[in-house]
Amino acid sequence: MVKVFIERKNKKINVDAKDIDGLIKKLSINKEEVIIVKNNELTPRNEKLKDSDEVKFLSVISGG
Amino acid sequence: MCRQCELKPVIVLSNNTKGLCKSCFLKYFERKFNRTISQFKLIEPNQKIGVAISGGKDSLSLLYLLNRIKDRKRFRIEALLIDEGIKGYRDKTIKDAKRFCRELKVKLTIVSYRNEFGYTLDQMLKKLKIKPCSICGVFRRYLLNKYSRRLKFDKLATGHNLDDEVQTILMNQFRSNQEISARLGPITGIKDDSKFVRRIKPFYLITEKETTTYAYLKNFNIPFCECPNNTQAYRIEVRNFINNFEQKYPGTKHSIINSFLEILPSLKEKYRNYEEIKYCSQCKEPSSKETCQACELRSKLN
Repeated sequence: MVKVFIERKNKKINVDAKDIDGLIKKLSINKEEVIIVKNNELTPRNEKLKDSDEVKFLSVISGG
Repeated sequence: MCRQCELKPVIVLSNNTKGLCKSCFLKYFERKFNRTISQFKLIEPNQKIGVAISGGKDSLSLLYLLNRIKDRKRFRIEALLIDEGIKGYRDKTIKDAKRFCRELKVKLTIVSYRNEFGYTLDQMLKKLKIKPCSICGVFRRYLLNKYSRRLKFDKLATGHNLDDEVQTILMNQFRSNQEISARLGPITGIKDDSKFVRRIKPFYLITEKETTTYAYLKNFNIPFCECPNNTQAYRIEVRNFINNFEQKYPGTKHSIINSFLEILPSLKEKYRNYEEIKYCSQCKEPSSKETCQACELRSKLN
């Protein structure tokens, strides 16, 4: 299970996913609306994921 | 790998298939910001530039960058923040704005709805049956212009980015609001008026993904905070539509901006003498009608 944090929803969840693209699809996230941080590194392209990984989806949308 | 130095990329640009590493991205971002200012002649030497800040990542990144170039480009800056009085939102972002201004040693003026109109936005919403964004849009614009003039700003810089502009262009297009589109662009407005301080958008050609990446890499530590009254349903739908399209056809947003910039001079020319700028009979602020929208709302409140 990968540890996931979705900033916009302020939600932490554990998700079973093999790679970033699979994770995005599973969570129905639009890549245009987030920057992706894997283990504290910006990760703009698809990468393989393993159980201990932490992935943060930071919102690029302005708050209002 | 990075298109310039073969290091691990931190971003893949939407109009390019190759990525940029941290150092190349920061250079690219700052170059684009500087180029936008010079290409559209946004700032002239000796001007006093107001920076409208909300405490969010875009406006604080803008303040940081303008502060960095101000001595070299020979202009002055001051920050202006409108406190609508939204509990749980604006009170949080004000803290980040104050911290940032203190660190950069930039003077900050905070103007509140409560002092100016007698009520916070939260209180207004209990009195008026109007959508929050409709009240906020009118009062915020009104105060930004009034205080920009009072503080003697030559121009007011805002953190509007390419995504914001693309959304507004399409919304105006879908609603056939060409005259409102004519007021858009890197410098807003159609003609000069002594009572109207023009706005400039140095992030005009920069996407919100790029501004977020910049704020993250610079460790600005600005938490995401969303307005609880965000009821701009139409804008959200247009934004989703554009983002879905961009994901499928990368470069769409840039194409919209580029074609808009081509027709913008003709639009401004067409609407230059379309309507005279009038002044509100009550507050004397610029208005398109006898009484401005802010005074209309104010009379409903009292």
